[in-house]
Amino acid sequence: MYNEMFRGSGLRDEYAVIDAWLKKHGPTALLDRQAEAEEMFRRIGITFAVYTEGSDPDRLIPFDMVPRVFNEKEWSIVERGSIQRAKALNCFIADVYGDRNIVKEGIMPEAMILNNPAYIKQMNGYRPPNDIWSHIIGVDIVRTEEDKFFVLEDNCRTPSGVSYVLQNREVMHRMFPDLFEGGRVRPVDGYGELLAAAMQDCAPANCPGKPTLALLTPGQYNSAYYEHYFLADLMGIDLVEGSDLFVDNDIVYMRTTNGPQRVDVLYRRLDDEFMDPEVFFEGSTLGVPGIIRAMKAGNLTMVNAPGTGIADDKSVYTYVPEMIRFYLNEEPIIENVTTYCCERPDELAYVLEHLSELVVKEVHGSGGYGMLIGPTSTAAQVEEFRAKLIARPNNYIAQPTLALSTSPILTPDGMSPRHVDLRPFVISGNQTSLIPSGLTRVALQDGSLVVNSSQGGGVKDTWVLSDRTSHA
Amino acid sequence: MLSRTAEGLFWMSRYVERMDNTARLLDAGRRLDALPRQDGATSSEWTSIVIASGCSDSFPDDPESATSTTVREHLVRDETNPSSIVSCILAARQNAKAVRPSLTSEVWEAINQTQSELKKHLHNEFDRKNLNAFLDWAHGRAALIIGSVLGTMMRDDRYGFVQIGKWFERADATARLLDVKYHVLLPKVADVGGGFDYLQWLQILRAANSATAFRHAYGRSPDAEGVVDLLVLNPQSPRSLRTALEQLDFELTSLTKGNVGLQQKLLAQVKLQSRAIDQLALEDIFARGLHEWLTNFILETNNLARMTAVAFGFGAIPEPDAS
Repeated sequence: MYNEMFRGSGLRDEYAVIDAWLKKHGPTALLDRQAEAEEMFRRIGITFAVYTEGSDPDRLIPFDMVPRVFNEKEWSIVERGSIQRAKALNCFIADVYGDRNIVKEGIMPEAMILNNPAYIKQMNGYRPPNDIWSHIIGVDIVRTEEDKFFVLEDNCRTPSGVSYVLQNREVMHRMFPDLFEGGRVRPVDGYGELLAAAMQDCAPANCPGKPTLALLTPGQYNSAYYEHYFLADLMGIDLVEGSDLFVDNDIVYMRTTNGPQRVDVLYRRLDDEFMDPEVFFEGSTLGVPGIIRAMKAGNLTMVNAPGTGIADDKSVYTYVPEMIRFYLNEEPIIENVTTYCCERPDELAYVLEHLSELVVKEVHGSGGYGMLIGPTSTAAQVEEFRAKLIARPNNYIAQPTLALSTSPILTPDGMSPRHVDLRPFVISGNQTSLIPSGLTRVALQDGSLVVNSSQGGGVKDTWVLSDRTSHA
Repeated sequence: MLSRTAEGLFWMSRYVERMDNTARLLDAGRRLDALPRQDGATSSEWTSIVIASGCSDSFPDDPESATSTTVREHLVRDETNPSSIVSCILAARQNAKAVRPSLTSEVWEAINQTQSELKKHLHNEFDRKNLNAFLDWAHGRAALIIGSVLGTMMRDDRYGFVQIGKWFERADATARLLDVKYHVLLPKVADVGGGFDYLQWLQILRAANSATAFRHAYGRSPDAEGVVDLLVLNPQSPRSLRTALEQLDFELTSLTKGNVGLQQKLLAQVKLQSRAIDQLALEDIFARGLHEWLTNFILETNNLARMTAVAFGFGAIPEPDAS
């Protein structure tokens, strides 16, 4: 199993500063500082809400203080690979709601699109500015060796977590300024500018001048409300709720103390089906009646556009390497994990035979729920899942369990390796780019492969070293 | 600014001020309750506190039978009472959370921390000693929050809505606090103006944090005329009704922009009321009857708050409890 802190049996140069820091303070003192950091998170209010568990819904995501490091070469793979993927996914979504060349060319069966719950037929024929549908894409990446990366899944709807990337850095910077001396760690400060610029790039056709931007939140009871506030604040734009907006003559306005004010670009953190009771759930009070009409009339750009979920489904995932070849005429820079679609009889047969070695996931599931991790499950759990698979094969995909890389965390018993993944956030405006960092999620249970925060995963500060010092 | 943001700032501020004022009322009740009683006279301090807090309707028993225990419970802990200290803190934080992008981190952290600390206090039983410590804590938190607003917020419209929330609430609370004295029975009619009467006025002043100010300003022992002058007409008192109206006039003038009809109407009304209290003499108040004058003031001020909400596009302010 690959531990990212070491190369062979020796410490990697990239971790020399961190190793010295660990030795200087010692794990016990650092655990105290970690408690202090968590108190800082709580005071600032960086919490996420989990409503399934009673008592205090505002919980902290556990923060591990040991940073995770990428050198320039490793980061270049992540960066180019994620950008390539985001470009191909945007081409795909535009194609789905446009000419469907990918179907015409026989690369993907049309049923794959039409039978998908995330496909929104009302979007057919719509063309967003610059043909960008998903302006913010989170690409979940895992690693098995020093230069071997895989994409585990794509998040094209409303990926969350970027606020932790910035706040983890902020807290580390405040508590241990020494670590950042000399500018060896590339800064993450540009995210707000990057996102605001991309939103401006995508102003709608009829925008009467400099576009007015806003961020739509379902409200303070949403689990990611802190992030919504954080991003609105970072960009200096209004944080609006559905009830603050109304549509008149296909133009979206917000209600202000000095009367209605036009909104041109809306970063919405509300799921598709709640956006517009005229088009989706009639009963939704979170959305804005008529907002889809305004969008189609060229008076509003939605970031991300409705219907982008078609591209991040686990069954569509298996086609992404083909998309990259088809739309970009390139070879994938980061590979997919081998994936068996249980709806195909031969692949189902293989899966059933190797169930105890595989990870099985629901096609439309998320958040780490409803999955089977073969190697760590009991025989009874495996048999239970076998029955589910046979009953509804097209609801599942399966993947081999990868030997995910580990990164050391602080524990009361000293340093201990835990599995990690990485979610960089790709922003698409006139350019497609990302900040030099991403969300590192870490499984806190020894041996666990589940890093989701709703399942007790933690986060780490993620460093990208600048070129001139990374190989020192 | 979003109307919802204005609304959130306004109510956040009202609830912070109300928390402080509910604590003051409880403090007044405690002090009045501790006054020596003559020949088994029935006490009505706690009834008067319930009435003055505007909580007669939410109070679970007949307010006439209120005791220190039941009032304490209702005004401190009872979450069904929107004016209880616990409710005020929860509501202030909820409003603050909804408008976080409009707050400085200092203001947000002061409010957020208040709710965290509240949990610790609620583990305690509120006997006399704990209650005092709790009320002191509540005053301290309110001072911290109000001070953070003054010290860190830009003087723009957001600040303006925080200020008008505070002044509306303070005007209402000061009027109610003065009215406590009307509801506290004196043992005998002949006691009016006597030693017991003096002691009661002194406790009202203390609850308004104005006992020392009174001596500085008037150089004599508290009496009805002096206390009413200080808390209604004195333009230097931070708690007087006149100061509140002057500040409302000032803030609303700068919040009102352009030619929005409802805002112009509101501005005309606040200037009318502000000018009226400027020209008011103490004798006018006593000629009308203090209780009647205060009741009318509370109604007028609440009406002004309702007009404000409508003029800036946010929801209706609840009807006042016109007791």
